[in-house]
Amino acid sequence: MRSPASFALLTLLLLAPTAHADPDDYVATPAIEYGEREIELRLGTATATEGQRHSAASLAFGYGVTPWWATEIYGKWNRSDATRFDAFEWENRFQLSEPGQYFADFGLLVEIERPQDRAAGYELRLGPLIQKDFGPVQANVNVLLKRHYRADEPEATELGYQWQLKYRWRPAFEFGAQGFGEVGPWNDWASAREQAHVLGPAMFGKVGLGGRQVVKYDAALLFKASSAAPARTLRAQIEYEF
Amino acid sequence: MIARLVSIACLVVAGAAQAANEPEFVLTIRDHRFTPAEIRIPANTKVKLIVHNQDATPEEFDSHALHREKVIPGASKATIFIGPLAPGRYPFTGEFNASTAQGAVVAQ
Repeated sequence: MRSPASFALLTLLLLAPTAHADPDDYVATPAIEYGEREIELRLGTATATEGQRHSAASLAFGYGVTPWWATEIYGKWNRSDATRFDAFEWENRFQLSEPGQYFADFGLLVEIERPQDRAAGYELRLGPLIQKDFGPVQANVNVLLKRHYRADEPEATELGYQWQLKYRWRPAFEFGAQGFGEVGPWNDWASAREQAHVLGPAMFGKVGLGGRQVVKYDAALLFKASSAAPARTLRAQIEYEF
Repeated sequence: MIARLVSIACLVVAGAAQAANEPEFVLTIRDHRFTPAEIRIPANTKVKLIVHNQDATPEEFDSHALHREKVIPGASKATIFIGPLAPGRYPFTGEFNASTAQGAVVAQ
């Protein structure tokens, strides 16, 4: 990171309070692999904050449609008192710059979710994806806005974020840290006591199976960083690319 | 706020101008092999690698050392930015034909 302004921006974002999203949420990255198809499974479970452990799972099919656009369709389930289908989600990632072209790599995430609870309307989540390499360390910061449309109850636009640091040791095993959070309405943040922030160690890897077939994984054990967060969240993601 | 946005825009424009001045190196894929198999670039300098896939099938330029993965469709070209790199040897493969498509960037 060469420019002071870009260093200040990254530092500011990394030091922002961490918050808690769905326990199976992941850190999206800006690079697109053109023509790649993938089947993805995400799992997450968080210790109880208000009586019930909260777990979630997502199964998806994705495709790199162009060198700059990848799309993915998810089915999402969650479990508190009982397991139930939660939502369909359509995720789109756009690569806005070639990796290494500028001082950081940029992308855009646009997700549209249709919850099974029709009273929740549609959920739109979007925001920039930023990645920067520091030698063998990869840093990601994503700042995401989320809002429900056509919901029975009007909701504010909420601000959240994801970050990760990854030491790229070996293709099959890389390690680092991740954090997730939501700070409340984007223009009127909730008090620190009401924000749920989680962060913790993470591991990543990729194993080639020959030809176009690759298995990728990442997993993290996240600990509460604020009083409203679950004490521990375990999340994992595995992708089969072909 | 406007000043901040202008600053960010200036950084992006400056980055784009800088990117336009990168030295270029050409790498060819033919019969699922890279030519040249070893490509020498200046150390501590960002360079633009133009990869021309002359095969009819796609290939993926893949390098953990360079932190680059890029699919190049058959009979097409792609641009890959690498560096600045410390002096050394950085291997890459064509992931779809890894038994034959092997190469390395040598920064010196």
